[in-house]
Parts: sequence; structure tokens; C-alpha cells
Amino acid sequence: MPESAWGWLIVVYLFLAGSGSGAFLAAVYCDLLAPDWSKSLAKAGSLVAGPLVAIGTVCLVLDLEAGLWEPWRQVYLAKNLSSMIAWGVIILSGFIPVALLYAAALNEITFIGKIAKKYIRILEYVGSIMAVATATYTGVLIAVVNGVPFWNTPMMPILFLASAISTGLAAAMIVAAIIDITTIKTLSNFALGHVIFLAFEGLVLMLLVFMSLTRSTEAAISANMLISGVLSPYFWVLVVILGILIPFILSIIEYYEYGEMPKSLVIGSDLLVLIGGMSLRALIIFSASPPQII
Amino acid sequence: MKKFGMTRRKFLAGAAVGSASLVASQYMSFDTWAAEKAVSDEVTVTPTLCDACGNWCAINVYTKGGRIWKATGNPIAGLNKGRICVKGHAMLHDVYNKDRIKSPLKRVGANKFEPISWEQAYKEVGAKLKEIVSKNGAESVFLVQYPEGNEALTKRFANALGSPNVFSHASTCFLPRNIGWWLNTGYAKPEQDLENARHVVFIGRNPAAGLQLRMLVDMAKAKDKGARYVVVDPRFSEMAAMGHQWIQIRPGTDLALLLSIAHVMIKENLYQKDFIEKYSVGFEEWASKIDEYTPRWASEKTTIPERVIVKLAHDMAEAAPSSLIHRGYHGAMGTQYKNSLQLVRAVGCINGLLGNYNQKGGMFNAPKVKLGKLAADKFPQVPELDMPMADGSGDPERYPLTPVGLGLSQAIPELALAGKLKAGFVYHNNPLRTCPNPARMIEGYRKLDLLVSFDYVLSETASLAHYILPESYYLERDDVVHTNHCYTSKQVAIRQAVIKPLYDTKPMVQILIELAPHCGIGEYFNFTLEEYNRAALAPLNIPLERLKKEGVIDLGDQWKPGEPKFVTPSGKLEIASSILKDLNLPEVPVWEEPLVSPNPKDPYEFRLIHGKQAHLTHARSINQKYLKEITALNDIARVWIHPERAKALGIKDGECMTITSPVGKGRARAKVTEGIHKDCVFLPSGYGVFAKNLQRAYGFGTSYNDYLPTYFDPVLGHVMANEVLVRVERTQS
Amino acid sequence: MPRYGIAIDTTKCIGCHSCRVACQNQNGLDYTETFNWIKDKERGKYPSYDKEYVPLQCNHCENAPCQRVCPTGATYTTPEGVVLVNKKTCVGCKYCMEACPYKMRIILHHEGIVVKCRFCIEMVREGGTPACVTTCPTQVRIFGDLDDPNSEISRFIAESGAEPLRTDLGTLPKIYYKRS
Repeated sequence: MPESAWGWLIVVYLFLAGSGSGAFLAAVYCDLLAPDWSKSLAKAGSLVAGPLVAIGTVCLVLDLEAGLWEPWRQVYLAKNLSSMIAWGVIILSGFIPVALLYAAALNEITFIGKIAKKYIRILEYVGSIMAVATATYTGVLIAVVNGVPFWNTPMMPILFLASAISTGLAAAMIVAAIIDITTIKTLSNFALGHVIFLAFEGLVLMLLVFMSLTRSTEAAISANMLISGVLSPYFWVLVVILGILIPFILSIIEYYEYGEMPKSLVIGSDLLVLIGGMSLRALIIFSASPPQII
Repeated sequence: MKKFGMTRRKFLAGAAVGSASLVASQYMSFDTWAAEKAVSDEVTVTPTLCDACGNWCAINVYTKGGRIWKATGNPIAGLNKGRICVKGHAMLHDVYNKDRIKSPLKRVGANKFEPISWEQAYKEVGAKLKEIVSKNGAESVFLVQYPEGNEALTKRFANALGSPNVFSHASTCFLPRNIGWWLNTGYAKPEQDLENARHVVFIGRNPAAGLQLRMLVDMAKAKDKGARYVVVDPRFSEMAAMGHQWIQIRPGTDLALLLSIAHVMIKENLYQKDFIEKYSVGFEEWASKIDEYTPRWASEKTTIPERVIVKLAHDMAEAAPSSLIHRGYHGAMGTQYKNSLQLVRAVGCINGLLGNYNQKGGMFNAPKVKLGKLAADKFPQVPELDMPMADGSGDPERYPLTPVGLGLSQAIPELALAGKLKAGFVYHNNPLRTCPNPARMIEGYRKLDLLVSFDYVLSETASLAHYILPESYYLERDDVVHTNHCYTSKQVAIRQAVIKPLYDTKPMVQILIELAPHCGIGEYFNFTLEEYNRAALAPLNIPLERLKKEGVIDLGDQWKPGEPKFVTPSGKLEIASSILKDLNLPEVPVWEEPLVSPNPKDPYEFRLIHGKQAHLTHARSINQKYLKEITALNDIARVWIHPERAKALGIKDGECMTITSPVGKGRARAKVTEGIHKDCVFLPSGYGVFAKNLQRAYGFGTSYNDYLPTYFDPVLGHVMANEVLVRVERTQS
Repeated sequence: MPRYGIAIDTTKCIGCHSCRVACQNQNGLDYTETFNWIKDKERGKYPSYDKEYVPLQCNHCENAPCQRVCPTGATYTTPEGVVLVNKKTCVGCKYCMEACPYKMRIILHHEGIVVKCRFCIEMVREGGTPACVTTCPTQVRIFGDLDDPNSEISRFIAESGAEPLRTDLGTLPKIYYKRS
């Protein structure tokens, strides 16, 4: 009996789609609320959002088998609307163009960007809804799977949304720093975002894991795998300590030190958030434990 | 072979393929599944006989587009009643095994062969054989085979050369079981009416893995009707999974259990007095010797609680005469213990106490078909040889009870080393892997001046052969008419080719016919297979064509319960055997200690026991990928050990253990389970292939033969395969 | 229209795997590909020790999660209640494999599609029984119409109290097990 069908491609897809939509939300947030001093972050966020989600989608397609070799089969992909993948296909095919268009508009890339700029508010509102849908959908995708009791909880989309925002913010901040290292100082303002969303993510994650211990036998098997079993070193070190705790502490320091923290630590903290987000998805996928049927 | 299209309806009517057979054209048009390319594939169905084990079940083999596809069981066949086991399905694929031998081979170095023509092979084998016979006499020639089907002709071949040395696997399989039953009843292999038996006891017999489909079909039916199955075994066997009660017994002590059951039945007057008085001899002698075999005594020997023994005796007696002890096979009643012969004797006698012979739900003898013979005027008969075999089988001074023609195949290396055997033919057998102590087997077989194999792959034995004359795979060849399907009625059956041979191989009968002239015995093989088969069928008035069309034909003569019949010297069930008395052996079944017993104080010492798995036939099917996958997926090649013993040795489930015996050392992973007696470890058989050319099987697992010294039971000469103590320890990495 | 199901009596199963290979042959599967599994379950200590062999295959659930999550609609239910996969529209996303709580689906990597037990529907429509049912030496499986109260399977279920595995999962499986 094949116990797990999905592997790294799906993990990468869940991560990229999440962080891409998170980056989009970060960009829109900056552009709407602080357009004057957070320009670079808005630009960076808009630039990474579309490509991240697109690459993620490529991973999803690469994970297809017959649908990959005989691509015309993909026309059936949105046929059954009770499938979350069908909804995912609809959401993604809406969000990716919007995100790319938004990047073009905000950065005034080519004439398309110039035209799109006229409709930038519409792009921001529609795109934000789609970004939230994308991030949430990656969680719903696995939350509806009753073949894996550990996934089968409404906390999953909430966790994925929180993680999408923190990883998206991190991705945007790293790219912003790459584009213009002097912006590091202004980025410190956004450390508060990290503090809030990492705290929320950590809370939801702990709720999910510890409530799974009593939710069902199989969910408990998965949770135990993470807390004390074979996956526990990765869970505690990569997800909890490196991915949440350290960036959380660093972000608090960064926020209060305002620009005094070494650049490497600021960037490092964001990298850790990304590593944590990726590890979180990997561990959730690989800790899947099917119902005990006999 | 039959094309499906035109004759399909006729085939369905005639051969009774049954409602289960699918109709190919419908299958093809089913758009959700059928591959487009399959639409053009033509389907044929050919009735034939399986060869995945020694049962030879009747199967209808389907081909699709010229390739073997699948098989269904022939519903009228007495042996398999419409079913096919896992091996039967899987071995269909082996016709396409890459390891197959593709033409006659001549050995030109260690494990190095070159292809030669049939003509050259016949010439060289014939010349060498003639040279050996003229120098050392025909008695220096032997044949070792799995005696099935073509047996009459292979035996004819050896006898025509002038050699009585026809060996089989008997001494590693069933010898005491056959001799014991023959002494008791005059029949070596009585059947049992499992469909109607209400209470069946299995003593070290596991028909759920040593599969005979008809038994399982009948038992499943009877179980639905309320039959009760008690399984006496050191381990929880597959049969125990289907049974109602598992009685765990210390290996080698089944005889003690049975003697105490007899004790209870006799002391408490629970036996069928009418039967005993009318149809048995020696009851009084046995009754007078049975005093000491109390349940308490047996409880100490067997580790079975006293009350369980008494209850079992009561349960058995209550269901009599539809109550029986299974006649056994390779297990405790086969060639496994020094006391196996006594055990079979006791089983036969207790079945007598139950009065079940020829009763509904009891023991009976299958009606036999008498086949015709080649007309003596046209086809010279081979003169009868009246001499014992080189190993002492049939020799009044050595193994008087062991029949000539079965022999003790583990004696061959000794005889070769002593120069008494010089040339050997190996047919449908692989003694290097199926006999104990392979190092010694190899040494002996290497000593031969001529070794000829008819194998279809380079098995262990074939790898040592000087010449290989490859027999066609069973799906590619015609064989002689077969009577193995007689069970409750008379049946004849035949194997025929389903596809043409893929390689330059031939049916065994044709090889013998073509080889004989080169060996100077052509006059005895001046017929064709067809002539032989027609002669066999002549008295039955069945045309060969009809048999080939139907695969199996039922001749009626259904067995019905009635007057018990025995063909012993007394004409009765011999509780006291006159034959044994004449040989100065115990006349009635009495206790006999097993050859060895593990020291209870030594935590490392165990008795090594073994047994079959349903999906493997000896070591010859683990090279089949569908079957090997079953072992791999379920991790069932592990050696069973009791949790308490494992704990004392620091062995955890799945860990590697080193097993050492006086003749061998090997490794196996542990299956720590409550389902085994503390005194022993259980090694599933079917593994330990050391023939390098069997690429899939090579080096996988270990065989009990690797640990077993070469023994000869003092009375019958069998290998006593479970009489070996091994040292088990955790493998130090 | 019948509504097909299988009743399995595990107390007769000997774990021989005939069903597995009969099915592999019928459906042209390679040796690692299977629609049938047999899992064993050990319980207790001697003398109450017991080992049960449980044959497993697609449950053809009435409320099939695999069908619900299939984006292309390749998984569908026939009028006879048999859950099948359309080979031509499956994209191999494997969502159904994750969704099946019984884990009874496999992917054929060489064809790129997900497959599973099909109740040998083409033989059944011809009046036969699935290959696993036909070959079983101990007649562990009874195949038939669950809606016909007089069918062998319905009578067996009524008499033995056989139940599907994990009814709590709510998928309404059509394979019933008699387990003691």
C-alpha cells in the first residue's frame, strides 16, 4: 500500500505559492499604506510574487505524470469543482497574470506596465483577494484530505496563510535588500510584521501539533513523529528554533534597535524564515500517516 | 491450441471453463481500461496442467497476441476444483524469464557453458555414458528426479541402461509418511473426506502453505458448515490462521501427544469398538503398552497442558467417525524426525480408533485409473531389474522398507566419492539445494565423470552438469497422460503446449527418445509420445484429441462411503504390523525420543525447524519476480523467534541473527513473535539460492539445508531435517 | 441495476496471495504493481495468540473521497456502483492517492496514471466474478449484489454481521469484513 504519493515537488509548490502570495500582500500593504518610505519593499515584493507562484505552479505540473507527458490532458484539470486542485488551477491562472501585471505596473516595466498603472488600485484589491485565496488554498488542498487525519483540520489553512505572509515578507525583504542595500534601515519597520505573523504562526502550529495528539490515533502518530519521532530533530531545529524562534527574537531586536543591527543578521533572519517555511511544509507532507484500517 | 473467435461457444460448453471466463471482445471494447493496442490482440485458450509445484493442477491458459496472459482453474479437475494458487498464476510469467537456458549447453569451465547442437549433445553424452557403463557397469549410473508425469519414461530409461538407481526427493520430503501409511493400511497416500469431516486434527501439517487446492476448497466449505480444525504445530502456521484452535507443541514430540490421545481414548472407552474388532489387528497389544502414556507424561514431553490433551481426545472421539487426523505430508510426519515413522503409525491407528476408514468425513482411498501400456509385440518391454539401489534402498540388510525408485538422494555424494556412482542424470530436481549440507553435495557431484541435467534454468545442480539438455517450459511442451486428478472420482488429464518453444528446447519425452539410441537403448524408445499416450488411453476408450480439447476428463466411479478395505498382509488395519515385527522393529506405535533436544539451560541453543510458504515451491520459485515481490513486500523471509528467547539474546524484531550449526553458518533477520515455541527457531523455506545464474534469487535469504548435517534415519534413511540444533546470536556488526 | 460489493471472511484467509497475482495477470500489472494487499495482524499471547490475514483492495466507496478530489473527473462511479478511473483523462496528480483513507490506489509510473481495483468489471458484466474471487482457494471473498436481499453476499452480511473497515470515516465502503 503506497502510504505517500506526494513528495518534494509538492512541498516546493506549496512553499512557493504561499511565499509568492505573501510577497504580493506585503507589496500591496506597503504601496497602500506607506508608499513614500517603503517603495523599495513594495517593488521587491511585487517583483518576486508572480515568479514565485509561477515557479511553484511549474513544480505542480512537473509532479503530474500522464498530464506532463501528454499536456493536452491538462484541459480537464478544472472539470470537477469539488476538487481543490480544480479550484487551485482557477485561482492560480487568475492570480499569476494579476501578480505579473502588478509587478509591471508598480515598476513601470514596458508599455504594459504603463497601461496597467492606471488600474493599479484594481490590481491591488483583486490581487490581494487572489493572494489570500492562493495562500489559503494551499492549506485547504491538504486540509480536505481525510486520507490523512493529521492534515484534516481547518487549522491547516490558517497555518498556511500565516506562514505564507511571513515567508512572503521575508522573500520581499531579501530581494529589497539585494536591489538596494541601503534600504535595510527602513526595512526594520517591517520587522513588526515578522513579530506578529511569526508569533501567530508559532501559536497555530503548536495548537495544530498538540491538539493532534488527542484528535485521532493517526493524527497523533503524525504529531508524535514531529514532536519526538524520526522527524523531531528537523521539526524542533529547522521549523521551531531556526524558522520561528530565532527570527522572532531577531525581529524584536531589529524593531527596537531600528537600523542598528548588523545587515547580515537582518538578511539572515529573513533567510531563516524562508528555511523554516519550507521545512514546515516538507514536514507536514512527510509526516502524513494514513488511517489504521485493520 | 485453439483460436478463441470461432470455437469459443463450443469451448465453453465442452471444457466447462465456467462462468468466470471472460469474453475477450467485450473486454477490449471497455474503453476505460483496455489499451488501444490490445484491440487487435487475439486471445486463445488452451487447457493444460500447471507445473509450478508437484500437484499439476488443471488450468486453462490464455494467451493474448501470442503471449501468455493468464490462467483460470478447470472447475471439474479433482485436484484444484477450479482454483489456481499464487504460484500457478505467477509461474506463467517464468516462460519469459531471462535466466532460461536457450539451447543445449556443454560445460567448458567452472560455471562456463557453450551452446552446442542437440546432435552433438546426444553424441557426446551417449559416447561418455557407454564408456562409463563398459568400465564401471550400469549400476554406476543414476537418475535423480522429481517423480511426476514423465516418471515412467525416465525410469524406463535408467532401467533400460541396466541401473536400478532411480532417486527422488522422497528422503527429503515424505518417505516416512508413505511407508507408515503403507504399513498401517497398505495404501501409501490415503485421502481424507475433508468436505464432510466435522473435526480435523493437523499434526505438523500445514495444507494452507504446502498447498493442495482441493483440500483448501473442501475445508473452506466444511468450515462454513461447522467443521472444526485443530492445528498442532510449534508455530502458528497459515493453517492455524484458518483453524479454530492452535495447540503449540514442543517440536519432535507429536508422537507423545498422539500416544496419550490413544491412552485417553482407550482408557475411557471412547474408541469405535465395532471398527476395531472387525477391521484391525493388534489392538490388544497396543492397549497393553499404552499405560505409561498418560496425558501427564505427554504434557511434560510436549509442553501442552494436560487438560488440553484430554479435551482434544474427547473432541476427536465425539465427532467420530467424521473425525480424522490429517494424513500428513512433509511436516512432522514427513522426513523431519527420527520418530516420524512411529508418528505416522500412531496417526493411522488413531484414525482407526475413530473408526473413520471409508466413512463419510474419514479416510478413504481415491479411485485409481488404470492406464494402458504400449503393445509388447511392437515395443519391447524393459526387463525387470530385481536388485537394491546403490544406497541400500530395497536391500533387506540396510533399508528394506525404502522402495527402489524413491531412494535416498542425500546418499549420492557419498556414493560418488566412494566411486560407486560415476554418471548421473538430473530431471526436474535440484538435489544440490534440496538435500542437506550443500558443501558435501557439491563435493560429491563434482566427483562424477558425467552429469547431465534437463533443467530449464542454470540451477545449483545444473551449474555443475557437464551437459544440459534443456527441457521446454511446461507451457511449451506436451507430456504423458496423467492420473493425478483422481480424488473422489476417476480422472485423466494431460499437459500440452500452449505456445511454441521460445528457444531451442524440447519436451522431455522427445529428448529421451532421441537420446536413447546414442546410449545403446534405442530399441526401448522406438515410439512417439503420441503413440505412448494413445496406448495409455486405449483401455479408457478416450481419443487423445478429446482429452487435449478438454484437458481433464472425469470418468466417474465416484467414491462412496462403505466397507473399510485394507491391503495389508492381514487385510486389516495393522495396529500391530507383521512387517515391522519381522524386521525386529516395534510392532505397535511406541514412544521414541527425537534424535536431539536443545539444552534448556543454554540461551543460545535452539532446534531449527522449517516449513513452506504458500507462494514458494522449494527454492525454485524465488527466482520468479512476482513471487519474490510477495516475500519482499511482506518481509516474510525472516526467521521466527519467541520474544522471551529473543530478549535474552538482545535480539529485537527485524535485527540480524547469526545462525551456526555443525555444518553451516548464516544470517537471517529476526521475526520476534508469540507465534512460535520457545524451543525452536523457524526458518521459512524457499530461499538460499546459491546458483549465480538465477539472478533474481541469488544470495537472497538462507535455507535450512545449509545447517543440516547429512543424516540417515536408521530405519528408512530419510534426512531427519528438523533434528538439528543451532546456535543463534545477535549478529555483531 | 445491481450494486456490487464483496464480503470477505478473514477467518478463512490463509494469506496465500493467490488473489494478488490472479489480479495482476488479469489486469496486466507488473510484479510491483498490485490492486490487492494482505496485511496480517497478530494479537495476544499463547494460548490466546491469534494471527489474522486481512485481504485489502479498493472499497468502491459510495461516498468516494478519491472521486471528490479528482480534478479531471477521471475517477467516476458506474451505475453498478463500481468506482473506476478513466485512463484517458487521468493526469497523474495523485491527489486521489492522498485522499483515499484506505490507501488502495497506486500510480503506474510507466503510464503516468493512477489505477486500482476495478472489480474486473468486464468479466462481471459477462456474468463472471472478479479474478480475486474466482481463484481464492478458501473462498474468502463473496461477490454479489448488495441491493438484492437474497444474494449470497447479502445473506452472508446479514448472518455474520460483517462490516466495512473504518465505517467512522464515512466513505460508505462496499467491502464487508467478517473478522471473527
